[in-house]
Amino acid sequence: MIAASLRTITGRRGSFRGGGIVILLGVLLVVTVLLAVNELRPGRNPSIGGQPMLDGVGGIVWALGIVVAILVGSLAGSYDVAQGTMRYLVLTGVGRVRLYAGRTVALVAAIALLLLPALGIGCVAVFALPSDPGDEVSGSALADAVWTATLWPLVFGLIAMGIGSLLRSNGPAIAISLLFAFAASPVLTLIGAWKETLGDVMLLPALDRITGGESSVAIPVAALAVLVWVALPWVLGLARHLRDEY
Amino acid sequence: MTDGPIIRLEHVTKRFRTKVAVDDVSFDVARGRCVGWLGPNGSGKTTLIRCMLGLARVSSGSIAVRGHAMPGGAGAALERVGGIVEEPRFYPYLTGRGNLEVWAGFLGGESRSRVLPALERVGLAADGNRKVKQYSMGMRQRLGVARSLLNDPELLILDEPSNGLDPSGMAAFREMIRSFVEEDGRTVFVSSHLLDEVEKIADDIAIVHEGKLVLHGTVAELVGAGRQGLRLRVDDADRAVVVLESLHLVRGVERRGPHELRVELESFDDAFAIALNRSLVQAGIGVAEVVRERASLEERFLEITGSTGDGAP
Repeated sequence: MIAASLRTITGRRGSFRGGGIVILLGVLLVVTVLLAVNELRPGRNPSIGGQPMLDGVGGIVWALGIVVAILVGSLAGSYDVAQGTMRYLVLTGVGRVRLYAGRTVALVAAIALLLLPALGIGCVAVFALPSDPGDEVSGSALADAVWTATLWPLVFGLIAMGIGSLLRSNGPAIAISLLFAFAASPVLTLIGAWKETLGDVMLLPALDRITGGESSVAIPVAALAVLVWVALPWVLGLARHLRDEY
Repeated sequence: MTDGPIIRLEHVTKRFRTKVAVDDVSFDVARGRCVGWLGPNGSGKTTLIRCMLGLARVSSGSIAVRGHAMPGGAGAALERVGGIVEEPRFYPYLTGRGNLEVWAGFLGGESRSRVLPALERVGLAADGNRKVKQYSMGMRQRLGVARSLLNDPELLILDEPSNGLDPSGMAAFREMIRSFVEEDGRTVFVSSHLLDEVEKIADDIAIVHEGKLVLHGTVAELVGAGRQGLRLRVDDADRAVVVLESLHLVRGVERRGPHELRVELESFDDAFAIALNRSLVQAGIGVAEVVRERASLEERFLEITGSTGDGAP
């Protein structure tokens, strides 16, 4: 069932394949820029690979990964109802909770598949391309970069799926999910100006904390906060999914 | 599987706020029959089908499918039920075969091995590798039936399945539906507004009007219970009218031409036909033609829905 769900997500060329290509192009852009600056001013930019490549690739996969994961996640939540295929999924006799849970697992797999090629190429570029000894990358630094570039898109993808399930319409689901990620979430961090601890359990600071950032809350508290932020729209989406008539 | 009816509806009512879409409907669907579910647009046909399939909840009453209460027992009930509701919907970016493989993935069991046979059964084997977005409406309908066959259903519930089919497609579709019943022993519950189509494929018919079940029986019973008559061509119509009006089963005689008459009857059998013919001949009236006329399902449908609705004829 998960494989079937995954196929419905990965089969959408625009969001999945297109998104994957955009992320790959982002990585290629980073490689090209680093090659160019090294060629133009080798003294100031001695490394192509190593830490500069890791920073560049990690950053671009992180940023594009969030946008693409939001697109894929929103559609994973809304598409079946909007397209009318939901009733035929219900007709399979598979329980609605199982359908929803299976779709969630499939979405996690789909986002991992989206990021994997770009991260793979980026890692190869980090170690294969020449770098200054001062820019060498440790295993833990690499792991941190991969963790950050993977977790953020996963979190925003899952939140988008919840929003999509709740709204049941593709366009609004994408728009609201993007607004949540790029407008509402940054605004919510401003709560920190009033009460630091409360600000640090907002989504962005909490995510930052569990991906290596500093904050006033411990990592487990930040992890719990992220879990709650993901669970809230997910549960609301599930509730709608259970209640709706198709 | 039980030996009871494959569908049992008991006092089923479905309300949408103040609107009653299905109003106290009760009937059984016997196994191995093709049942036509007829009603004007907006009469509650699709709503009841959605309730039967666990897609919507009833407001009151109960539905059992394959012996399992719906929607609580949907998991067990739908194991061997296939359906099309309103129109078949697919993932347009996947091929026809890819779509069926996706649904087989959800169904599990042996359904994956039924993908190709199902495509062949509906005549889409050659188009299985084309994307569904390139399919015509008729092809989508057939693919919808193929999807319904993936779990080897005992019961097929098809909502307006012949929508979008051309005349030859409809004939093939009719044949396919009959083969599901006669060759496979499946039960088919088919809703349609194409009455002549239903008359050709259904064994039983249920008519719904404004949410209420107004008639349920075999096609022969329903059509037989309608208006019956004879069309006669005689050499002396004036005298024939006098003779015919004296016969006890004749409700009325209508002149249709210089030599043509239509006789409205209370009921009809062979003995009456012989007696009528004999009376005319004994009166010296030449009878050139006697043709029995029965109300078509369409006439019967209009008769029933008109009489229970807004009073239209």
